[in-house]
Amino acid sequence: MITPPEVSWIAIAPDLILALGAAVVLLVEVQWKPAARVLGLVTAFSLVLAVGATLLQKLAVEDAMLAADPERLVAFSGMILMDGFAVFSRFALLGATVLGVLTGWRYIEGLGRRGAEALALIMLATVGFSIMVASNNLVMMFLGLEVGSIALYVLAGMSRERPESDEAAIKYFLLGSFASAFFVYGVALIYAGTGKLAILDIRAFFDQFIVTSPTVIYIGIGLVIAGLGFKVSAAPFHSWAPDVYQGAPAGVVGYMAAVAKIAGFAAMARILLTALGDLDSIWLPIVAALAALSMFVGSTLALVQGDVRRMLAYSGVAHAGFIMTGVVGGETQGILFYLAVYAVQLLGAFAVVVAVSGASGARSSIDDYRGLARRSPGLAGSFTVLLLGMAGLPLTSGFIAKFGVFTDAWNSGYEWLVVVAVLASVIAFAFYLRIIVAMYMDEAEEEAPALVPTVRWVVGLAVVATIAWGIFPGSLLDLAANALAL
Amino acid sequence: MTDFLWLIIALPLAGAVLLHFLGRFVGEPLSGWLASLASTSAFVFALVAAWPFIQGGEHSTTVLLWEWMPAIGANLELLWDPLAALMVLVVTGVGSLIHFFAIGYMHGDDRFDRFFTSLNLFMASMLTLVLAGNYAMLFLGWELVGLSSYLLIGFWFTRPSAAAAAKKAFVVNRIGDFGFMIALMLVFASFGTLSYAGIFERADEVLGVGMATAIGLLMLVGAAGKSAQVPLYVWLPDAMEGPTPVSALIHAATMVTAGVYLIARSSAIFEIAPIASTTVATVGAITALWAATIALAQRDIKKVLAYSTISQLGYMFLAVGAGAYVAGVFHLMTHAFFKALLFLGAGSVIHAMSDEQDMHKMGGLLKKMPTTAITMGVGTLAIAGIPPLAGFWSKDEILGSVFARGGWFSALWIVGLVTALITAFYMARQWVLVFLGEPRWSQDTSPHEAPRVMTIPLIILAGLSVVGGLLNTPFALRLERFLEPSFEYVTLQNPPEGLAMFAVLAGLSVMASLVGGGFGYVSYNRPKQRWLDFEDGFEPLWGTWEQAYRVDDLYGAAIVAPGKKAAEVAAFGVDLAIIDGAVNGVGSAVRRLGELARSLQTGYVRNYGVLFLGGALVIVIWLVVGR
Repeated sequence: MITPPEVSWIAIAPDLILALGAAVVLLVEVQWKPAARVLGLVTAFSLVLAVGATLLQKLAVEDAMLAADPERLVAFSGMILMDGFAVFSRFALLGATVLGVLTGWRYIEGLGRRGAEALALIMLATVGFSIMVASNNLVMMFLGLEVGSIALYVLAGMSRERPESDEAAIKYFLLGSFASAFFVYGVALIYAGTGKLAILDIRAFFDQFIVTSPTVIYIGIGLVIAGLGFKVSAAPFHSWAPDVYQGAPAGVVGYMAAVAKIAGFAAMARILLTALGDLDSIWLPIVAALAALSMFVGSTLALVQGDVRRMLAYSGVAHAGFIMTGVVGGETQGILFYLAVYAVQLLGAFAVVVAVSGASGARSSIDDYRGLARRSPGLAGSFTVLLLGMAGLPLTSGFIAKFGVFTDAWNSGYEWLVVVAVLASVIAFAFYLRIIVAMYMDEAEEEAPALVPTVRWVVGLAVVATIAWGIFPGSLLDLAANALAL
Repeated sequence: MTDFLWLIIALPLAGAVLLHFLGRFVGEPLSGWLASLASTSAFVFALVAAWPFIQGGEHSTTVLLWEWMPAIGANLELLWDPLAALMVLVVTGVGSLIHFFAIGYMHGDDRFDRFFTSLNLFMASMLTLVLAGNYAMLFLGWELVGLSSYLLIGFWFTRPSAAAAAKKAFVVNRIGDFGFMIALMLVFASFGTLSYAGIFERADEVLGVGMATAIGLLMLVGAAGKSAQVPLYVWLPDAMEGPTPVSALIHAATMVTAGVYLIARSSAIFEIAPIASTTVATVGAITALWAATIALAQRDIKKVLAYSTISQLGYMFLAVGAGAYVAGVFHLMTHAFFKALLFLGAGSVIHAMSDEQDMHKMGGLLKKMPTTAITMGVGTLAIAGIPPLAGFWSKDEILGSVFARGGWFSALWIVGLVTALITAFYMARQWVLVFLGEPRWSQDTSPHEAPRVMTIPLIILAGLSVVGGLLNTPFALRLERFLEPSFEYVTLQNPPEGLAMFAVLAGLSVMASLVGGGFGYVSYNRPKQRWLDFEDGFEPLWGTWEQAYRVDDLYGAAIVAPGKKAAEVAAFGVDLAIIDGAVNGVGSAVRRLGELARSLQTGYVRNYGVLFLGGALVIVIWLVVGR
C-alpha cells in the first residue's frame, strides 16, 4: 500500500511564496510589459511574505521545542526539516536576497525587458538554496543545490553584451556541474554504504552500528566535501571564484557569493555535524586541512590582486577557511553567526563596488578607489568599516565571529589550526588596509560617484549591522545559539 | 569624575571624524587648531581625572561603558589606575604640544587637514590602547595604532620611499602582532577571560611556569615589533620618512612605548616567568648598545634620533625585564619629553634648512636659530644623562636597579653603562655638527628661527626635560609611590639602598656621560676635514655603523627575496591568478581583454578542473589510505 506523503505547507511556505513570486513576475512581464518598478514591487512583496512565513516557522519551532515534540518539525515524510537551523539559514538567505536585489536594482532596471528574468532568477536561486538548507534528505539537498546553482549560472551571464560575463557564466557552469557530480556521487556512495539517505537516519545508523568495511562511505564523505567545498569556494576548489566574481555583473555578484556560501556551509554543517557527527575522527583532519589551506591561499593571493573584486573573491576563500575552522569547532552557533555577519559585510562591500565602479562593468581596479575619501567621505568611511569588519577588528561583528570560531576550534583540540587562522588574519589585515590606504592617501580629480539610493541603503545597513553586531552581539548570538539542528 | 573618562578617547576621535567629513571645508589653519583643541582638552580632562592619584590614596577604578561580551571578560571598560593615568598624561600632554608644533610645520601642505585627521585618529587609538580595561580592548587599540601610524608614515605617499617605509613598518609590525595575538589566545585558553582583573589576580594559581614563559615570550615578540627592538627594529629608521611631528609623536613619545606598556601592564604574568623577563632585559640591553653604535655614525639628523630612540627603548626593556617597572615607566616618561623635544627641534632645523637633513651640510646654526639650538641643547644634555636633568634620574634608576639584581644582570649593567657613554658621544656630535662650527650650507638657503607656534612647544618640552626627573629621585620617590598600586602583583626591583651606593653608581654613569659627551664635543668642534679624518680613523667599523650593520641587506636577502619568490610562484604558478594580468598592472590587462577572453574559455577551465580533481583525489586517497 502506498501512503500519501504528509503535507506540511508551513515547512515550505517561504519557498512556495518565492517560487510563486518568480512565476508572477515572469507572467506579468509577458502579459503587460509593465515598468520595472512594478516587477520590483512584486518581488518586494514576495520577499516580505516569505520573511513573514519564515517568522511563522520560527514561532512553530519555538512551540514544538516548548512542547518537547521535535517530531513535529519533520515534514514531508522526513524530506524537509523545519528546525531552528533551517529557519536561521532561511533568514540569512532572505536577508541576502533583499540586500542583493537592492544592490542590483539599478542594474536590473537597466536590463530592460530582461529585468524580469533577473528578478525571477534571483528568487528561484533563493528557493533552491532555501530547500537545500532545510532538507533532511541528501537527494532533496542535491535538488535544492541544483535549482539554486543553475539560477546563479544564468545570473552570472546576464550581461550578454560583455564577453567577461559570458565567460564567467560558462566557467561557473562547467566547473559547477563538475562539482555537483562529485557531490551527487558522494551521496550515492554514502547511500551505498549505509542504505540511508535521510540525515537523521544516517545519524541513527552510525549510532547503532559500527561499519566494518567503511571505505565506500569514506570515499563518499570525501566527494561530498569536495562538492560543497566548491560551492563555498574553499581551496583548492576555489579557482572559479575570482573569475566569476570579476566577470559576473557587479550588481548581483554579492548576492551570488553570499547565498552560495550560506547554503553551502549550512549543508556542510548538516551533513558533517549532524549526519556524520559520529565519524568526526574521519573528516575532522580533512576539513581542518582544507580550512588551513583556504585561509593561507586566500589571504596570500588576495595580497597581490590589483582588482577589488578579485581581492574580495580571494578574501572570500580565506573566509571560507575561517568558517571551516568553525566547522572543525563543531558549534553551529559559531558557524551561523559567522555566516550572517560575513554575508552582510560581503553584500555591503559589493554595494560599494557597484557605487564606485558601476553595476555592470567588469573592472574594479584599486585605482578607481584612489582618493575616494576626498571625493566621497561617507562612502569611503563605510567601506573602511566593512573592510575592518572583514579583517576582524574588535568592535566590529567580524571580530566576534572570528573569535567565536577560533575558540570553538581551540576547544576541540585543534590549536594548530587556530594558530594558522591567526596568522591568516594577520596577513589578511594587509590587503584590506591596501584598499583603505588607497582611499585615504591618494588623491584623484574625478567626480564623486553618484550614489543610487538603493545602493546607499545597502551600504548604510551593512555598516550599521557591522558595528551594531560588533558592539551589541548578544541578540544575534542568542539567535544563532538557539538555531539548533535537529 | 571617572564616569566621563570615555571623553579622553572620544574627544580626539570626534576631532578625527569631524575633520574627516568637514576637513576640506575647514581648511588651514583652522583644522589644525581644532585637532589641537581636541587633544588639549583630552589632556586637561585627564589631568583633572588623575588629580586624586596625584594627591595619593585613591584606588584604581574600572569604568564599565558597555557589557560587550561579559562571558569572556571582553567588555568596553576603561582601567583608570596610576599607570594608565601616567600614560594618558604623557600621550595627551606631549601629543598636544606636537599638535601645535605641527600647525606651523605642516603649513602649506596640500593635505593639511588630512594630516590632522590622522593625527587625531592616532591619538584616539593610542589612548584606547593605554586606557583599555582588558586585553580585547588593548588589542583594538593595538591594531588601530598600527593602522593610523601606517597612514601617518606614508603621509607623503607620492614619495616612493615614504610608501615603502609605511609598508615596511606595517609588515614588520605584523610579525610582532602575530606573536601578540597568539599570546592572547594562550591567555584566553588558560584563563577563559581577557579581563585584566580576572587574569592578574589568578595568574600565579592558573599559570604554570611553562605557560607563563610562553605567553611572556610571545608578548615580547609583539612588544619588540611595536617598540622596535632587536631583531624587529628595522622599520623605525625608515619610518622617519613621515613628517617630523609624526616622528616625534609616534616614533618617540607614544606608539613605540606601547611594547613597554604591554610588558608593564602584564607584569603579573612576567613575575612568574623569570626566563621571559630575563629575555626581555637581554633583548633590551642588546638593542640599546646595537642601536647606539649605529646612531654614532649617521649623517641624517633624524636617523641619529631614530636609532637613539631604539636604543633608549632598549633601556626601558632592560628595566621592565629586570623587574624595575617603575624605573622603566619613569624613563618612558622622561624620554617622551626629551626625545619629542629633540625631534621637534630637528624638525625646526629641517624646516629652516629647506628640508635638508644631512648634518654635513649644516653647522653654525646657533646664531640663526638660538631658541631651537638652546632647547635642543637642553634635550641633548637630558638624554646624555647630565644631572640634574630628567634623563639622568631615570637612566640612573634603571642602571642602579639592574646592578642590584646581580648575576647575569651585572653583564647587562655594563652594557647599559657603555651605551650611556656612546649616547652622550653621538648626541654631542649631533648638536655640535648642527649648531656650531662653520656654516656648511649653500648660499641660497637662509635659515631662520621657526614661528612661535613651533618654538613655544620646544620651550615647554625643554622645561619638562629639565624638571621632569625630579618626580622620582632617590631622595623623594614620588613616582614610585604614585605607580605602586599598578604593580601590586610584583616585587619591584629597586636600586641599592643607601647614599653611598647611589653616589658610586651615579658617579659612574655621570662619568660615562661626561667622558662620552666631552669626547664628542672636542672631536667635532673643529674644522670639517679634521673630524672627517677622525671618522676615517675608525674604518672599517665606522662604515659598518653608518650602514647600520647592513641588516636591511641581510633581511632582504634572507627573508624578503625568498618571500617574494614564493609569492610569485604562488601567484603565477600554482593559482594561475595572473591570467588577467591583474598582478602585472591592470591597464595593460584591460587592453588585452578580448584576446584573453578567448584563451580563457579554451584553456583555463580545464586547468581549474584538473586542480579540482587533484584536490578531491588527495582527499579521497587520504581518507582511504590514511586509515
